[in-house]
Amino acid sequence: MSDAFNRREFLKLVTIASTGTLAACSPAPPQKVIPYVIPPEEVVPGLSYWFKTTCRECPAGCGMMARTREGRVVKLEGNPEHPINRGALCVRGQAALQGLYNPDRLAGPLRRTPEGRLEPITWEQAEEALVALFRFLREQRRTATVALLTERISGATEKFFRDLFAVFPAGQVIQYEPFAYEALRAGNRVAFGTSEIPHYDIAAARMLVSFGADFLETWLSNVECARAFAAARRRHERDAMRFVAVEPRLSLTAANADVWLPARPGSEAALALALVHEILRSGRARISSTEAARIGQLVATLDAETAERLTDVPAPRIRALAREFAAADPGLALGPGVAASGPAATALQVAVNLLNYVCGNVNRTVQFGRGSSWDRVATHAEMLEFIERMRTGRVDVLFFHHTNPVYTLPPATGFARALQRVRLKVSFSPFLDETTAQCDLILPDHTPLERWEEYQPRAGIRALVQPAMAGGFHFQSRQAADMLLYVVSRADATLSRQFPFADFRAYLENEWRAVHRAVAPEQPFAEFWRSAVEAGGIWREVPLRPVRLSEAVFRFDFSPALTVHTERDESLALLVFPTAERFDGRGANRPWLQETPDAMTKIVWSAWAELHPETARRYGVREGDLLKVSSPHGTIQLPAHLTPTVRPDTVAIPLGQGHTSFGRWAADCGPTPLALLSAEVEVTSGGLLYGGTRVRIERLPVRRLLARTQQETSQHDREIARVVPLAELVAGSVRRDPEPRLSIYPEHTHDGHRWGMAIDLDACIGCNACVVACSIENNVPWVGALQVDRGRHMAWMRIDRYWEPVPEAQPVGGVAPLETHFLPMLCQHCDHAPCESVCPVYATYHNHEGLNVQVYNRCVGTRYCSNNCPYKVRRFHWFDDQWPWPLALGLNPDVTARTKGVMGKCTFCVQRIRTAKDQAKDENRTVRDGEIIPACAQTCPAEAIVFGDLNDPNSRVRQLADSARGYHVLGELNTRPAITYLKKVRRSGLDRPTGEDG
Amino acid sequence: MPELTYSRVNRDILRTLETPGRAYWIAVALLAAGVVLGGYCWWTQIQTGMGVSGKFIPTAWFAYITTFVFWVGIAHSGTLISAILFLFRARWRTPVYRSAEAMTVFAVMTAGLFPLIHLGRAWQFYWLLPYPNERQLWPNFRSPLLWDVFAVTTYFTVSAMFLYLGLIPDIAAARDRATGWRRRLYRLASLGWRGTDTEWTHYSSAYMFFAAFATPLVVSVHSVVSWDFTMSIVPGWHSTIFAPYFVAGAIHSGLAMVITLLIPLRRLFRLEQFLDTLHFEQLARLMIVTGLIVGYAYGVEFFVAWYSGNPFELSTFLDRAFGPHGDLFWAMVVFNCGLPLLFFAPRLRRNYAVLLAVSVLVNVGMWLERFVIIAVSLTNDYLPAIWRKTFHFTWVEAGILFGSLCWFLLLFFLFAKIFPTVSITEVKEALPEPRRTAAAEGHA
Repeated sequence: MSDAFNRREFLKLVTIASTGTLAACSPAPPQKVIPYVIPPEEVVPGLSYWFKTTCRECPAGCGMMARTREGRVVKLEGNPEHPINRGALCVRGQAALQGLYNPDRLAGPLRRTPEGRLEPITWEQAEEALVALFRFLREQRRTATVALLTERISGATEKFFRDLFAVFPAGQVIQYEPFAYEALRAGNRVAFGTSEIPHYDIAAARMLVSFGADFLETWLSNVECARAFAAARRRHERDAMRFVAVEPRLSLTAANADVWLPARPGSEAALALALVHEILRSGRARISSTEAARIGQLVATLDAETAERLTDVPAPRIRALAREFAAADPGLALGPGVAASGPAATALQVAVNLLNYVCGNVNRTVQFGRGSSWDRVATHAEMLEFIERMRTGRVDVLFFHHTNPVYTLPPATGFARALQRVRLKVSFSPFLDETTAQCDLILPDHTPLERWEEYQPRAGIRALVQPAMAGGFHFQSRQAADMLLYVVSRADATLSRQFPFADFRAYLENEWRAVHRAVAPEQPFAEFWRSAVEAGGIWREVPLRPVRLSEAVFRFDFSPALTVHTERDESLALLVFPTAERFDGRGANRPWLQETPDAMTKIVWSAWAELHPETARRYGVREGDLLKVSSPHGTIQLPAHLTPTVRPDTVAIPLGQGHTSFGRWAADCGPTPLALLSAEVEVTSGGLLYGGTRVRIERLPVRRLLARTQQETSQHDREIARVVPLAELVAGSVRRDPEPRLSIYPEHTHDGHRWGMAIDLDACIGCNACVVACSIENNVPWVGALQVDRGRHMAWMRIDRYWEPVPEAQPVGGVAPLETHFLPMLCQHCDHAPCESVCPVYATYHNHEGLNVQVYNRCVGTRYCSNNCPYKVRRFHWFDDQWPWPLALGLNPDVTARTKGVMGKCTFCVQRIRTAKDQAKDENRTVRDGEIIPACAQTCPAEAIVFGDLNDPNSRVRQLADSARGYHVLGELNTRPAITYLKKVRRSGLDRPTGEDG
Repeated sequence: MPELTYSRVNRDILRTLETPGRAYWIAVALLAAGVVLGGYCWWTQIQTGMGVSGKFIPTAWFAYITTFVFWVGIAHSGTLISAILFLFRARWRTPVYRSAEAMTVFAVMTAGLFPLIHLGRAWQFYWLLPYPNERQLWPNFRSPLLWDVFAVTTYFTVSAMFLYLGLIPDIAAARDRATGWRRRLYRLASLGWRGTDTEWTHYSSAYMFFAAFATPLVVSVHSVVSWDFTMSIVPGWHSTIFAPYFVAGAIHSGLAMVITLLIPLRRLFRLEQFLDTLHFEQLARLMIVTGLIVGYAYGVEFFVAWYSGNPFELSTFLDRAFGPHGDLFWAMVVFNCGLPLLFFAPRLRRNYAVLLAVSVLVNVGMWLERFVIIAVSLTNDYLPAIWRKTFHFTWVEAGILFGSLCWFLLLFFLFAKIFPTVSITEVKEALPEPRRTAAAEGHA
């Protein structure tokens, strides 16, 4: 055992001993001093310790670093060395902190009484119960079916549960993910004979076409995709990467596209096939002519005109897209995401594969061998089979491990009813979620920040999850695997020989001996293990495994692609979509996520139904009206949101709300659209039919609160978010916009440092990661839907989102094309700050390093500064912040928690500046460029935010601030902000005249 | 006032100080209850946070600052009528000026509450004052809010002293008739006034001095208050016309408030002989003038917004007139500029019901004017992303506003029973010469 773990053990003791204290920033005064009776030698109070681990908030498996102070996790950041996310973390990953400290976590084990109530029991009782159960099941020797329903697991964790459940004659481990990418797996099997989900090299692509793949939000690995996308976007060359998004609703991903083609829902496959057709017809395919002929036959009927009829996308644009995609070397087409998973999802994936294949992208940007295997994750069809077994009483004992199928499966599947036929239901969930509420024995597991685990997100990466703080600090949770090991060793002598481990960490370490032999046998194991844990896992380059087109593709039945609902009738297409903030709903109990505005609609704390204003007019619906949406499978009621970003024949409803039992913050946030979905599966892949349902809507005479942080969508020609055409940029003819340089006061002198920031609007994808990072770093409170609706949203950073009509662009499917601008807005730290001169008490002033400083203790709360701030980035504390215990434990001790009645705002993370300067001083040097990274910049997957010293001519920020694309928002007001925005680059659309047609 | 004699003047005016009837006590009790209600609301706000009021980002100033400006405005006519009209020898001011002056002082006292109520941390209000302290922290002299502190405190001091100075001979007159606690109070307050020639000489020159001293304050105080807005960069606030516009508006609202208060007062205290139609007609005529100035200012603002070519400015003004709160704007135009024009008709300006109705509506209109400028402008500033145009008045806010009105009226009610609301001295001065000797005993 290495030193790191001695320390860890010690930390565990210390933190357990000190539970309930240590609240440096909590509103209540600390009751005791830190009870370090024997101070741990390696823990220095006031210093941060970082633990590398792996994010388990979704299957993507990003590397994560947990910053701890005095034994408490206070911040989660991406692991800069991790190959998936390289330091960035999305909104959900960061909000995992509020899973850890969530007051609605179960305090300890529960058991259902004969009367049906849940009563608390001790862990000893729970252990006894499990031991008895295990003995019973082993002794039975009959085919008592014992199943574990778990989230996607891999590596040693998977092996552990598989081996453990194999001790039962009919033991079974089912991995269940609501987003299981069945269509991708099936489509790849058809096209290439492998169900692997490949690695898509977005960064290398010269042209990207997404058919409903929301890769900037939830698809596969959103942080990794966003990084790659931003890297590709950064090439401002003549043939810079261009991106076309095909989907019926403008998702965040589509909002980042150069061209958005709102094809009819479910018709994306037809469009993809038509592209194949047009590319083959024009002879631009990069495949042999015989193959081209065979594929051509397959898509013979789908010319651009036929596709226009099916998709609503005009034939000339289809041809233009085909021409451009074929010319891209390499290009990349991406298959269906959740929202596009309708009856034609597999057909779409096969079509996308064909499209990539004929353009020679397969084995270039589509990289098999480097991707991820989802084979052991159950398809929806397999889940339905399992439900049938449950329903017919053929499942005796069912364990739930970090899954919540009662909520995530459509009610039409009858899971909840079938569950009642299961004799014993055991849940390891840390929360009393919908599934756990049905269980008989509840053994709350640690959250991922307290437990050991191995996870292999994709080939070549063995990531480790390690506790960043001791579990059981407030909630008496225990790691499920530890518990099972203990129970097994007690239950049976043979089993205890098979699993001779004190806890899961020992098991994991033992498993890694094999890894060690395979990877680095020359290194002593202790050293290897220690370095692996310290690094958060091991990873290596994996060779590409080239694939060839499978014969099966020529036998594939593309007919679902052609059966598109094209009639105009009273029904609307239902588009069920996941969002970056809500995902499948597993983060709904985290107030930071609930209060993070949806990237597109800016709605918080609620589900909504998106309607095109034209449709709304037809039904007499206004914003906020309660709608009754009914399908043959169910009915839900939720408020309407009017937006020009959805097709008039479609109603779009996000996933992730509608919890009935998931703590106080998940409650009363509107319904889930799952209630509208059928129990049927997509035939080829066995996937859940998120798409393809037709619904009817009816306006109810009630209005519902639909709180939005932003209400106006246009920038009214104010040139706030500015754009520069790519051609001008390439030609080098871009000039800075003139700005006034007048002053009646003497100029500020900034001796030493002058902190500044550059924000690249061309890189920003509007994903909100910075917003959440800022809130967590700076102890920004949440206020709830009502207060957000009243304009009391507290976030120091916000992403303003503007839509502008695209001139001369033709509407597609009744939707006018829009150009989306994301504008991250935070305190501009103006040189001529309007807020400073109006404060009567000098609570805000300009410091010698160019920071606009806010002194909370001096603030009397006139709010004049907010009125006079043209950027409106100041946030007044209307009430005392609420940090229900133990959420307060996650507060950043380096940042003052504000009292009611004072103003707060972005400080450029002054605490981080301070730390870096202290460090530099200790080391007798100046602060290095890039050493200070504010929370927002740290987590930006697109690296759109750069911070540094403007006085240093060689700093990155200085160079960006001087770039030709640079401008200041509202610079004409002579506020002289310290933040330079870099203009978004407008790449030409598909309508540009070319003269030639393929 | 041919039938008046000095003794009659003394008797009639001092009669208003006699032990009040049941109606008065009920009124005082109700007003006091209103003040307590307002105090409770303020306490709630301090306990819970500013969030219990209707403010938000971007509209961080709302009903309280609106009401502050409103009461500061009300405070203007008092000094205008007593000082400026005194300097201009406008004789008709005589019977109304005392009420106007008292109204000024009480309006400033009411106005002065609002910056405190409005503070996020009201208990730290004294940080706005430049007092020597061990931290060597001074307020920011560049901040218009600090100028406000000086302007309003100066105005309060001067107008209170002016009111008091004018009261001294009258208090002495009351002293000579009073008994009990009143006598002790009046004896103290009259500073030993005996009515000697020397005293009268000093009194006259002091009064003249204060009149001259207060006159520029009428202009300065509301100019400074308007600079709270002009010195900012908020479109709809940042305008050079604000100082004269606000002063005119202040006088407009002050005149309306004087009429609003005097009509019931005249009835209650049976002062018909002192306050006749002529006085109200003159006030009404003045209101036509101020109403026209205010209307002109409204027009100029729109012209400048258009002529400047500043898109932010133009957008704000279009929003003001045609946006979601356009109804407030048009109500303000009709009440402040339209209704006073009725006074061109002599029949209407002599009708007390019309006078009262119009002056009340002008008061409403002037409150709306400040609200439209302050709150509605803020909803529509530079970045459209933060525009937010729904207002939510809260019961706490309504309670505080109502409480402040009760506070103002309560002070006025108490004043009216303790000090003469019509100046005995000046009414006597206005009497014809021969009667002076005939009723010399009336003057103590």
